[in-house]
Amino acid sequence: MSRATLTIIVATLALVLGGEPAAVRGQSPAGEYKIGVLEPLTGPLAFEGKRHMEGLEVVRDLINERGGVMGKKLVFAVADATDPTAAASEANRLITREGVKIITGTFSSRLCGAASEVAARHNVIYWESSCVDPRFNKRGLKYVYRTEIDATGFGWYNVEFIAKHLAPRLNLKPNQLKVAFLSEDSSYGQGVTESARQRAKTEFGMQEVMLEYYNWTTLNDMTPTILKMKQLNPDVVHHIGFGNDAVLFWRQSKEQNFLFKALVHAGATGYGGGDFGKALGNDANGVFALLEPGPGFRLEALRPEGQQIEKAFREAVQKRTGTYPFGAHQLAGSGLWLLKLVLDRSKSDDPEKFNAAVMALDMPVGSMINGWGVKFSEVGQNANDRVQHYMLQWQNGQLVTVWPEEFTTLRAKWIPLGAWDQRK
Amino acid sequence: MDSARRLGPAQIDVLAQLAVATVLLGGIYALIAVGLTLIFGIMRVVNFAHGEFLMLGMYLAFWAFALYAVDPYVVVLVSIPVFFVVGLVAYVLVMRGVIQASHNVQIFTTVGLSVVLQNVALVAWSGDFRFVRPWHLSTVIRAGATIFNLTQVVAFLIAVALTIALVAFMKWTHAGRVMRATAQDRDAATLMGIDTDRVYRLTFAIGIAAVGAAGVLVAPLYSVYPTAGLQFVLISYVVVVLGGLGDMFGAMLGSFIVALVEVAGSYLFGTAWKEIFYFILFILVLVFRPVGLFGQRGAETLGV
Repeated sequence: MSRATLTIIVATLALVLGGEPAAVRGQSPAGEYKIGVLEPLTGPLAFEGKRHMEGLEVVRDLINERGGVMGKKLVFAVADATDPTAAASEANRLITREGVKIITGTFSSRLCGAASEVAARHNVIYWESSCVDPRFNKRGLKYVYRTEIDATGFGWYNVEFIAKHLAPRLNLKPNQLKVAFLSEDSSYGQGVTESARQRAKTEFGMQEVMLEYYNWTTLNDMTPTILKMKQLNPDVVHHIGFGNDAVLFWRQSKEQNFLFKALVHAGATGYGGGDFGKALGNDANGVFALLEPGPGFRLEALRPEGQQIEKAFREAVQKRTGTYPFGAHQLAGSGLWLLKLVLDRSKSDDPEKFNAAVMALDMPVGSMINGWGVKFSEVGQNANDRVQHYMLQWQNGQLVTVWPEEFTTLRAKWIPLGAWDQRK
Repeated sequence: MDSARRLGPAQIDVLAQLAVATVLLGGIYALIAVGLTLIFGIMRVVNFAHGEFLMLGMYLAFWAFALYAVDPYVVVLVSIPVFFVVGLVAYVLVMRGVIQASHNVQIFTTVGLSVVLQNVALVAWSGDFRFVRPWHLSTVIRAGATIFNLTQVVAFLIAVALTIALVAFMKWTHAGRVMRATAQDRDAATLMGIDTDRVYRLTFAIGIAAVGAAGVLVAPLYSVYPTAGLQFVLISYVVVVLGGLGDMFGAMLGSFIVALVEVAGSYLFGTAWKEIFYFILFILVLVFRPVGLFGQRGAETLGV
């Protein structure tokens, strides 16, 4: 038998037997436990990806100061997931070359789907901390979990806020409220908007006066939409914006003197990004955006164990970056902390034991970073009413926490919004 | 919806405001399309990197404002010579090599240039949205019940002035005549002793200077980011085809038609529909009048 034939046979056998010889480095030496971390560290998503990485590293150090996981020091095998293709191939590499049994990541809805498919194929645990695509948990994949709520959860919270906070302050019953739904047409925008519409209608009987989707990348003028809305006279505008569209809507609404009582958005894009404040200064005053907690967040409102870790987390992020934690820090950090809580209970990375520990976790709101609680559904999704989200409001150049009121020292202002030049 | 359909005084006000929105939006499109139609008309090159030069103009406005607090209306004066030079350099480095090549090669080249410029901007200035906020940004002029945004009014006026200036330049100057001659027949022009390379260089530089200035002017109205050009460039192609390749007044009218379709479509049917309408228009024009609404018959084959 020639050497070439022999090589081919050996190579084929190696492939058939599951690529074992490829796992060169494998798990860490004794005393260390290695997990895979997938974040976009280069390319267009890198800015947020790096913040996620900071959040992960801060919490990794907090975990190691507290004894690590399963009695070992937690270490990362980091991979750069620039795009969905890289996410999938890097997930593969982490599993086969680095020998990880748990992967966490990935910030973007574009990446989490591809990466988790690969993990599921290898029976590796996939622990997602921040992508919000509603389809993520609906593909029947085993051992795929998400600690953050999905886009439909954002819609759930927005309607909660409109019905239980805005309506009383406007002296209206929820079913008297006229709501206009406006949204960019990504899977995120549609997920939030459709779930908000459904809950607004079926649970609270709110009146939907308008529904409009648009593509934010080709939107150059919102005057026609604003003129139409003006005649429909909504009380609340539920607008999921992405970038320039949010600025354009707000600026042109002011130009056209379009008066409504409140605008509610969800997520770190559009009205929820720092750019919105930079673009409009104090003109941004009054806009609501559903996010992770920001300035005003009351530590005392959390349970003792939650206070402890939230305080340590905030201080560590402050020390490292010099700022209050950003949403990316908070999502990645709380996701990793929750992973530690699960491993503390399962004491194993065996998928079945791990899954049993996840399903058994039942912690009330206020138990950990961001004041979150835990209760996973069978498909591996943390529950809406446990993953406490907060309404932030633009007040004089800053997004501050205003709701739920028991969690914050600050209060929502400008309800109803009133004249454009009176919001000071 | 009923109240929106009834024609009363309020409805007339809305119509007036929609008309204003059309004219002002059309002004922005015209500003961007004029340079494209010039390059298209004379050089017969579809410049897919046009939007990226617009983006560079927006960044020029942003940095001038952020670092030195220079108003975009001052920057626009500087931007014309700056982008004239940028156009010259881009021509010499990139376009000259493919000017005689097939259209496919030209398309690949300009698309490549577009991707390069986007990524240079991404690496140099990150993917953040940036904003230019001069004092006059939210200034509005009220005339009766209609409202004019000052920045858009200025963009509109400059678009008109620029178009008239370019038409005059093409018609009455020697350089303009030479450019038209080259557009009509490249080989004959060469035989008449015209340096066609010089003509193309000049055309490209003027086209890029126009779009660079356009970028500075629209920067306060929109966010500045590496792919900001894509937002407008597709519409510019529709405008240019609609108006007739190389026809400056055609581009201007095409801009207003596209803006009208967009505004009316958004108001009556919803924003999601606007692109459907103007691309239907685009296809209809291509099928029934390939030279564009105002182009000369037979012009589409010139020099191709």
